[in-house]
Amino acid sequence: MKDIARQAMSIKVESMDMLNGQIKMEANASATYLAMASWCEQNGFFTSAKFFFKQSEEEREHMMKIFNFLIDVGGSPLSPEVTNINHDYSSIVDVFEHTLDHEIAVTKSIHQIVMKARELGDLTTERFLDWFVLEQVEEENTIRDILDMISVTGTEGVGLQLIDDHVGNWIN
Amino acid sequence: MKVVYQSTYYTLYQSEKERCFYIDFVQKTVRMSFCQLLALRHKVLSIPIEHHFDSDLNKHGFELLQLCNKEHLFILNTLEVLDLKSLVEQGFVRLGISVNATALHV
Ligand SMILES: [Fe+2]
Ligand SMILES: [Fe+2]
Repeated sequence: MKDIARQAMSIKVESMDMLNGQIKMEANASATYLAMASWCEQNGFFTSAKFFFKQSEEEREHMMKIFNFLIDVGGSPLSPEVTNINHDYSSIVDVFEHTLDHEIAVTKSIHQIVMKARELGDLTTERFLDWFVLEQVEEENTIRDILDMISVTGTEGVGLQLIDDHVGNWIN
Repeated sequence: MKVVYQSTYYTLYQSEKERCFYIDFVQKTVRMSFCQLLALRHKVLSIPIEHHFDSDLNKHGFELLQLCNKEHLFILNTLEVLDLKSLVEQGFVRLGISVNATALHV
């Protein structure tokens, strides 16, 4: 039997499903960072707000990278539904701690897809995700550095405003 | 036209000449491009079958299925939905782009 399906699509459908799941996760991250930007604006952390606006855009770029990959391989990318975005944070420290948790969850998800793609013998998907694996190292590192800066600066007195100013160092 | 997979009620065919697929739904046979077949797969695997066993969530145990940009409409009962799910899963395995029968549910 001629492989018409294989000629139309060059990755496994299971990989496509997982990548559609990742599209959703990146969209969720983008929306979450936008909510954080809103929180920062409303609470006077204007530099941090800029940081999160930029993060939000980056997450959308990640999403589009996967979206376009699915088009390139002949798959069917799905526009994600994003719901239940949290807008409540108790402090700027809380915001960054949630950010790190979020990035770690994304890293785990990407690793899982890599492992599964390997199991499926889907080298195309595995190689495609190399960029994301390394990108996550950077993303996690950035937030960890900011949390370190926060603990060194301290939140007493003018600490919170200093923290906000210092976040500017991570906007490039 | 060659049979790719036959489930209890349905049959998936591949036409090499037309480079497309056909599904025999008993009432009618539907011609589909590969993209439309992918869309069908997504719709069928997304049907929450567990709702069929909860009269609050699915009162009558039927499912409406629109195919090929709303060109076709099918009304399926629980057994037909289950059968179509297996046709889709096994069909993609036979087509060589799915590894196992337990495809991830999307
Ligand atoms: Fe991301
Ligand atoms: Fe990220």
